[in-house]
Amino acid sequence: MRKLNVIFPDLGLFPAFVITLVLSIVLQLSGAWITMFLVGVLSSMFVRRHRTAFGVGFFGVFIGWLFIFVYLILTAQALPIADFFIGLLGLGGLGWLVIAISSIIGGLLGGFGGLLGRSIVDLVDELLPNEAGKETKDNNR
Amino acid sequence: MPIGPLAGGLQILQPWGGIFDVGKGIQHGGNETIALPDMLSGAEVIVDEWGIPHIYGDTLEDTFMALGYMHARDRLFQMVMQTYLASGRICEVIGGADYAINSDKYQRAIGLVKAAEETYQWYVDNADTNEDVDYSLRATLAHVAGINAFIDTMTSDNTPIEFKILGFTPSHWTPIDSFTWAKYMTWSLSGGVYDLRREFVRNQLGNDSLYADIFPEFYPNTIPIIPEQYNLSLIDYADAPGGYPAMLVPPPSILSENEPIAQISESKLNELLNIVSSNINLLGDSVFVGSNSWAVNGSKTATGQAMLANDPHLSLQAPSLWYEVHLVVLDDDEALNVQGGSLPGTPGILIGHTEHISWGMTNVGADVLDIFVEELNPTDPTQYRYNGDWVDFEVREEVIHVKGRADIHFNVSWSLHGPCIDSVMSTYTSDTETSYPNIAMNWTGLSITHEVLTLGILNRAQDIQDYYDAMYWWDSPPHNFIYADDAGNIALTVAGRFPIRQGYSGNFPVTATNDSVGMISNIPYAFNPRSVNPSQCFLQSANQKSIDPSTYGFTILGAQSPDYRGERIHTYLDGKTGITVNDMMQLQADVLDLTAEKMLPYVLAAWTSSGEVNTTIQTLVDELTGWNYEMEIDIAAPTIWTYLLEEIRYVLFDEIRDADLPATLAQIPIVEWVLSAPIDYYIDDHSTVAIESMDEILVQAMHRTANNLYALGDDPSEWLYGHYHTIFIDHLAGMTYIGGGAHRGSGYTVNVGGGWTVQHGPSRRMVVSYTETPEYYTVYPGGQSQVMFSQHWDDLFELWYAYDPILGHYGYTLEYNYATAIAFTNANDGTMIEYIILFIPRG
Repeated sequence: MRKLNVIFPDLGLFPAFVITLVLSIVLQLSGAWITMFLVGVLSSMFVRRHRTAFGVGFFGVFIGWLFIFVYLILTAQALPIADFFIGLLGLGGLGWLVIAISSIIGGLLGGFGGLLGRSIVDLVDELLPNEAGKETKDNNR
Repeated sequence: MPIGPLAGGLQILQPWGGIFDVGKGIQHGGNETIALPDMLSGAEVIVDEWGIPHIYGDTLEDTFMALGYMHARDRLFQMVMQTYLASGRICEVIGGADYAINSDKYQRAIGLVKAAEETYQWYVDNADTNEDVDYSLRATLAHVAGINAFIDTMTSDNTPIEFKILGFTPSHWTPIDSFTWAKYMTWSLSGGVYDLRREFVRNQLGNDSLYADIFPEFYPNTIPIIPEQYNLSLIDYADAPGGYPAMLVPPPSILSENEPIAQISESKLNELLNIVSSNINLLGDSVFVGSNSWAVNGSKTATGQAMLANDPHLSLQAPSLWYEVHLVVLDDDEALNVQGGSLPGTPGILIGHTEHISWGMTNVGADVLDIFVEELNPTDPTQYRYNGDWVDFEVREEVIHVKGRADIHFNVSWSLHGPCIDSVMSTYTSDTETSYPNIAMNWTGLSITHEVLTLGILNRAQDIQDYYDAMYWWDSPPHNFIYADDAGNIALTVAGRFPIRQGYSGNFPVTATNDSVGMISNIPYAFNPRSVNPSQCFLQSANQKSIDPSTYGFTILGAQSPDYRGERIHTYLDGKTGITVNDMMQLQADVLDLTAEKMLPYVLAAWTSSGEVNTTIQTLVDELTGWNYEMEIDIAAPTIWTYLLEEIRYVLFDEIRDADLPATLAQIPIVEWVLSAPIDYYIDDHSTVAIESMDEILVQAMHRTANNLYALGDDPSEWLYGHYHTIFIDHLAGMTYIGGGAHRGSGYTVNVGGGWTVQHGPSRRMVVSYTETPEYYTVYPGGQSQVMFSQHWDDLFELWYAYDPILGHYGYTLEYNYATAIAFTNANDGTMIEYIILFIPRG
């Protein structure tokens, strides 16, 4: 079996970020926030370092959610709703903070999904036999 | 009922699928089509510019199913909270806070659900033999199906934000829920353990003469609701309301010295009253529950046709108790065209009009609940004595499910008289005794009651005979139903089942060990207080005494509001002809305070005669002199008077204060009586050796008032009434509010607004004018939508609150009252219709 790092190429930071952002918007429309973790896991396939995986997952989902919030602010009163919610905590007028916190929560889900995903990829690839090494041995025979 | 904001978990903060979806759920563009499984033929719902649905159903079932759906769509959180509270299930929603557990125990102890189950079963049992019962039951079941159709198809967009914050998913609605909510309304309007309160006050005062003075059967100078009694025929209506047995000749009233006395220990009484007073009451403090209504016939109106006005005073809450709706059944066999205020969760219009008649309601305040202290078997306290035997209490096991915690089990004991309300304390030990539940509540509202049947008939009524027939079934809670029709009739029925008592007064707890003491029968419906087309050409009610006891052969026990609103309405209508819609609206907005008009002159005269030189007091006097007694927001005099009235009561009733009770026990008409008679005994301050005159006492009151006022500020410009008298309509779960601004009126004005922060008052204003095309004006302080981000959250409040000083009244909507959807859409000028929902059968 081919290693995951071979199946999923290293696209680099920006393409991986764009994929994460698009996935975060599409999957968020399902209304299941846990899918952001999945977005992070998927995005980690396209980078190689743990900290990059976290960063791509975090900022991809964070920015993705911000896009949705901007849309909801423009079309569906997201800011008054956020104001109302934080008003329950006695912090009326700080609706933007709810949106920021929400986006950070989404980002953390994506980021930790990325960390986990990267770790799983590394673990799985380590357990898989090294295809390149096997081919070299075959050639020597 | 405060609710923590994070009970629903952090996931509610996600942009899609959390709280932000509600902003999408309130967007309605163009026409919507909704397929429902139980819809028979279909219904078209035109939602007008105020968010009011006009439901045109092909059949009875379709119309009421659409009503249920719309109720749930616009008010599900309110419906769930109300019903769960009434059922003793609020812990399932908000968890196990002490106040929630106490509330659930109390609600279960008063037995509303059991009564609702029995009432529902009566409808099921009688539907085959009574077509009106069948009609009402079918409407109820269709309404329930509509509610459940919404619950089953609820999406994140239209799930109430409160449920998301709570992390709560409502279960299916049942017919029992609808009847339980009706029972809760009944409880709030005619329940309450006033016998226990009276017992406490009587014991505390220790002076029967004082007690009789401050709680008279009939306040002096009251103008009763019924000017001329109009009896119906006993041949047509032989029974009491609701089909209960009636008695033509009541037994003689018991003399107070012969009244049996029940023994309730002081500690138990105090504990029980504490539990009762801390209980959640959605409809607000009963002190503030009241209403105004009046009707005038054509001889007094500019149009020559009858007019009617009504404004029920209930708790002002957000969302409102009311939900405006227009119901039409197009099926000729069961045609219906009724419009008005409904209560979300109940099937029908409670106050409104059909094509030919209109009606409004005010609370009677009758005492239809008695407390019986059962004599327990000393050797087995699970038994009580009755008719010579020891009888077992019926024990109903109650299980309270608590969100996130273990269930709570407790038992409620029932005697023949009713549930033992001290079951909330269960078996307990006080400092001096061990006690078991034995305080049973005998309340007419716990019987099988017929509110829904009444509405089923009244909502289809075409003339005054239909009105009589509908009123026959209204047994609980007692209400004054004002009536007018397009034939020129006006009427008022004090509707309800009024018990006839034997062997006790009904004022205090009593021990009854046999059938000879108790509610032995009822006043015949034919003889209920009623007036039809009286010679004075108008009728009015404002919660004052229904009828002059000296002219009526039966006793209707119960509380009575101070008569100032009623007197003001009576005086206004009595002296006026050529009445217009504008006049009716002005009277609803009237803020002339008769307490000031009647009593302030005594105070000013006392100050003048005192000869005292005091610039501090003189400032008050200057503000009050020349005041027109109107409780307006931009002057200081109403603030001064509000303080002054309380201080007068305080200084007069040292006798009450000496008994460690608040002077406010004495209602204002008693204060007026003491001043106007005058009653020297109460005028004198018994804590001093000297005997004070009325002038001295009133000057004392002015000094005390000045102390209060100067604490607010040194200048009268800081005493403006509007700075302190404000309106505040709290969200049902305390999450937000409507209002906050200055508010005209007082607790004694027609536009009622008791207290400094007004949270009760005209919960719905209605004016009906029978012209060639009848005009129906309505408004309520809120909006149709439960969503606080919707334009229909408070748009009706803005109208309700907007006082126009030129016109002299508040804003109203002029109802759209088209008999068909086509007529409505044809009349639409582009602003009248917001959107249309087409309900169609599914599959």
